[in-house]
Amino acid sequence: MTAEAPPVVTVDKSQASAPPTGVRAWLSRHPLAAYAIRRFGLYLVELWGALTITFFFFRLMPGDPVRTLIQTLQQNYIYNAEASAELIARYRTEFGLDGNLFSQYIKYMEKLFLHGDMGPSLINYPTPAQTVILRALPWTIALLGISAVLAWILGVIIGAIAGWRRGKLGSRITTNLAIALAHVPYFFVALILVYVFAYTLGMLPARSAYDSSITPGITPEFIGSVLKYGLLPGLSIVVIGTFGWILSTRMLMVPILGEDYLVYAEAKGLKGSRILTRYALRNCYLPQITAFGISLGFIFNGNVLVEQLFNYPGLGTTLVTAIQQLDFNTILGVTNIAIFSVLTAVLLLDLLLPLLDPRVKYWK
Amino acid sequence: MRLLHAVLRTIRNSRRLATGLAILAAMILVALFSPLIIKLIGGGTNPIEVAAYEKWLVPSADHLLGTDQFGRDVFAMVISALSVSLQIGAIAGVISTVVGVIVAFVSGYKGGWIDGVLSTFTGVLLVIPTFPLLVALSAYAKNVTLFQVGVMISIFAWPFAAKTIRSQVLSLRSRPYVDLARVTKARDMEIIVTELLPNLLPFIGVGFASSALGAIFGLVGLEVIGLGPGGVIDLGHIIFNAINTGALTLGAWPMFVVPIVLLTALFAALNMVNIGLEEVYNPRLRGVAGE
Repeated sequence: MTAEAPPVVTVDKSQASAPPTGVRAWLSRHPLAAYAIRRFGLYLVELWGALTITFFFFRLMPGDPVRTLIQTLQQNYIYNAEASAELIARYRTEFGLDGNLFSQYIKYMEKLFLHGDMGPSLINYPTPAQTVILRALPWTIALLGISAVLAWILGVIIGAIAGWRRGKLGSRITTNLAIALAHVPYFFVALILVYVFAYTLGMLPARSAYDSSITPGITPEFIGSVLKYGLLPGLSIVVIGTFGWILSTRMLMVPILGEDYLVYAEAKGLKGSRILTRYALRNCYLPQITAFGISLGFIFNGNVLVEQLFNYPGLGTTLVTAIQQLDFNTILGVTNIAIFSVLTAVLLLDLLLPLLDPRVKYWK
Repeated sequence: MRLLHAVLRTIRNSRRLATGLAILAAMILVALFSPLIIKLIGGGTNPIEVAAYEKWLVPSADHLLGTDQFGRDVFAMVISALSVSLQIGAIAGVISTVVGVIVAFVSGYKGGWIDGVLSTFTGVLLVIPTFPLLVALSAYAKNVTLFQVGVMISIFAWPFAAKTIRSQVLSLRSRPYVDLARVTKARDMEIIVTELLPNLLPFIGVGFASSALGAIFGLVGLEVIGLGPGGVIDLGHIIFNAINTGALTLGAWPMFVVPIVLLTALFAALNMVNIGLEEVYNPRLRGVAGE
């Protein structure tokens, strides 16, 4: 399952030593395109590797989804008949569990990539898993996307200032707070917020994503309701996320402060605020863009618990429900969607970076 | 002896490291003496037995944190759960660090395509959301021992250690004294054990702390959604109990606030150890210590 990297390495080498013919000559004249192609190749390899690992991970685990399905059906629809061999065989085919492991894998990948089909779900039985997931996806993207970006912006700005004014009391307090809180699960903050604002003060709702008496649609009431219900879960992600970014930005900022070009800028008589924003900040937000992509998977992990606490109708809640009922297709689907989103985001940020950072040169 | 001196000097140099270690030491002490403390609280009876006391007692001198829905003393439960959380951190931390060190050395020292494969694999494991995989794995882990839970969580915690250590191996590999050892025809194993390992100890410490942090974090995550392995009662499990039995609506805040505060202190301590060690040993950050 790790046999994916060699091609990447060999491409690298052949570019360096190849005589300038055809495609290679063009690539050496267009280093940025060469970088983009190589990066995209790595993305495909990573995506394929990760999806393959998760597929076998789930299939090699003990447990029989078909037996679970039949049990669920018996419970839900008072299916008193003993499941016949025929019925079991039919469900096996439907869930893609017939044949050996390798042919199951080929079939799953083929269905996933060619038809976007993840097989039927169990939590919502004949509905396909991808439909269940697509219904939950927008909620997670909105909640997690907005909170993660907001935390990043706040964290980089506050972190840069904390590094800039290092040694001052405010900066020291902020830094120590960040060290203490950067690795706390979002869930802890969410729980305290729920207890204070929802249960004790009764100011904000504790569950769901919008007031169920309002019909969903693009109306001011509905949007207002969504914002109100999203405030607590969002806030818990923003608070902890911001502390994390403060810490890492400060770590990037402080070594920069001794650089000659900052001394020169000061000698020129530039104002402190201008040096901070135009000279120092630029050198620490760029690496943080890459770090943002890398942290997305981790943010998703934390978000699962927050969604579950608030019963937010996103991917996290879907995942937990699916796991409680051993719904393989949905669990695998949610995992794959999360992997796909994170790897794609990292790819886009990596491709964007050379456009933002003039120093990045990829043709070495 | 020399090692001990070096360790003490390092601790004296960094207030952050010292604070982190002090908090950890205090928690480990409490965990070590937890059977005794629980016995003292019980005063003859077992305070964490079902119906040991009345249900839902509010905090008082007899029950510092009150009792839960089964009449168990919450303070005693928290103490025993803290010890479980620490044990998981230690077990998973050690396993992850060993795996991480091996992967980092093979990858960083050998280089070439092996490094390409291993570091891509480590990188992908760090980037993709692995929590669903851990949750799925735990759905099958009923009635497992503490050690087995530690092993299970290590599967997802070792990349933290491997990444930190690999980057250090890369920077040490080309140092003159390593070249010297190579010229004198020392075998790879010899170079790794006698030249590289001692210089990497602080970063192995960082790897251990981050893996332990990741492991405790992972188990708490499993527990609070009610999917923790059966029979393992850590701090996350107490939080889960609190939510599920309606402690939120009843206002029984000690049941979830105290575990949260303890875990936050634990995460903070591990993070202080990490940052303290890096500030002392990473020359680029040396000016950073600030304080």
